[in-house]
Amino acid sequence: MLTMLSFSLSFLFPGDNIINLSGQLNASSSELTQLNHYYQHDNNIIEQYLAYLRHVLQGDLGLSMASQSPISHEIIKLLPATMELSLVALLIAMAIGIPLGFIAAIKHNKTTDNVILAVSMLGYSIPVFWLGLLAILFFSIGLGWLPSAGRISLLFEIEFVTGFQFIDILLSDSPYKWQALNNALAHIILPACVIAVAPTTIFVRLSRAAMIEVLATSYIRAAKSKGLSFSQIIFRHATRNALIKIIRHVGLQFANLITIAMVTEVIFSWPGIGRWLIESIYQRDYTAIQSGLLVLSCFIFIVHILTDFIYAALNPLARGNKYGS
Amino acid sequence: MAREKTYTEEVFPSPFIQLWIIFRRTPVAMLGFGCFIFLVFLAIFSPLLAPYSPVEGNLEMILLPPAWHDNGNVSYLLGTDELGRDMLSRLMYGTSLTFGLSFVVVLISLVVGVVIGSLSALTKGLKSSFLNHFLDVVLSIPSLLLAIIIVAILGPGIANTVWAIVIVLIPQFIHITRYAVKEEFRKDYVLASRLDGASPFRVLYYSVFPNIVERIMSQATLAQSAAILDIATLGFLGLGAQIPLPEWGAILANGVERFYIAPWTVYLPGLAILFAVVATNLVGEGIRHALKVRREN
Repeated sequence: MLTMLSFSLSFLFPGDNIINLSGQLNASSSELTQLNHYYQHDNNIIEQYLAYLRHVLQGDLGLSMASQSPISHEIIKLLPATMELSLVALLIAMAIGIPLGFIAAIKHNKTTDNVILAVSMLGYSIPVFWLGLLAILFFSIGLGWLPSAGRISLLFEIEFVTGFQFIDILLSDSPYKWQALNNALAHIILPACVIAVAPTTIFVRLSRAAMIEVLATSYIRAAKSKGLSFSQIIFRHATRNALIKIIRHVGLQFANLITIAMVTEVIFSWPGIGRWLIESIYQRDYTAIQSGLLVLSCFIFIVHILTDFIYAALNPLARGNKYGS
Repeated sequence: MAREKTYTEEVFPSPFIQLWIIFRRTPVAMLGFGCFIFLVFLAIFSPLLAPYSPVEGNLEMILLPPAWHDNGNVSYLLGTDELGRDMLSRLMYGTSLTFGLSFVVVLISLVVGVVIGSLSALTKGLKSSFLNHFLDVVLSIPSLLLAIIIVAILGPGIANTVWAIVIVLIPQFIHITRYAVKEEFRKDYVLASRLDGASPFRVLYYSVFPNIVERIMSQATLAQSAAILDIATLGFLGLGAQIPLPEWGAILANGVERFYIAPWTVYLPGLAILFAVVATNLVGEGIRHALKVRREN
């Protein structure tokens, strides 16, 4: 489905669709005939699509129109940076949002609940680019605590192995390993926190709703009547059941988080796929837009499936339903 | 003992009026509603109210700070930008672009979405299942990402942004209308009017719509806060409103270069966006709260 969408984009973009697909701007006529042959351009549209699909599966996404280098190489370099940033942001959002939501649910309809709800409302109303700029002004320029751009200081030479900065640093045998690690950490904190704000507030609401629902169930009442203390009920019984409900929504939130990350990458000059995608829109680099979109949506899709699996693994009830019991 | 009412008349307000009565009782929601009305008013009348032109600058008054600042000038209440354009006027004109356009966007996509959604609720079988799966795929792509792609196809510009966001929002309305209509169709009162011989469209118009209008409105407020943020984000990225237009996101992007020497050119438009989104969200929360209270009664 996604590849179909991406394939149809090559017709929607202005220009010749074979050039849009391959990205070869200055191809001679003989090269063009060859390309036409590769992409089965003379046959009907279904065969063209299948040819395109074959190319994608072989990892050939064409050349970037702007730099004329293979897009798949660029994406392999850029995607880990985005993954790293969004995963850190997701962890921050979950680590802050879920406990806050639980607290709000336990203090339901009291001042604490209202304060948390009001703050979370403010949090998801803030435009992310504005928040990013304010954060740079305050923490980087005003206080000078954290760097404002990039992934790591240029002083450190880290060899590219996996693309994940932290793993690469740990794998490298540089004598300044720990300084580099600290530096990378300082670079990721600010953008990750900015990205995390909106998802945090959504996690607050989700976990609050889940916890309220769980606290109203009969097994919690049974636990209370057995004389268990309040903390025992919350930590042993309620938290686990509420967490399961939240995990199901993580996949959906992740898609949202990736969009926020795209904008934030532009502000913090983070060398990730979002910034690259937006720059290729400025440069009208249609091949890059097409493949960037394909890769990003596949990434979101994989996270969706993964969360579904984790949910099924953690929740026996979800597993049972599939067999129609 | 005087009896003012001979017969105890029972008045049944329509679902919408019931909702309004509950909505009126929550002060926070009313505050949000007041701000919302204020913004709508500003969006319509900003050309009459704004003291200066949003695009013509006064080169003698460049980068003037807001009036409460030591170097400020009262005739430029919120200061000026690098071309001497009055920030207050620009923000007021920006209301009709960012907020007003988002309102229009939501209205268009609401009408289209409700029509398609209610028609699809009446169909069964292959067509309906195709629509369902198609909607699932579209809904799983984040709205801003989709809007960016559509703008990439159409080319940057404010008109293209509007169309992109309309297209992005339609599936949400189709989805919610479809489910609401299907749910109502299962209820007894619909069955009663169908037994009376009403055609599906008559049932839809006279029985179902009055009962789902507030759910659609609650979705509309969600959609509008997303639309404001999307228009502003696209403007900020330079894909939406182009340079001289006083769109809030574009004003903000314009101020970024002089962020350090003239921070008000950045934080004022940001505050405007925040204000508009919070007002919209408060109205939405009010409606959802009122819906919940009504259901519990």
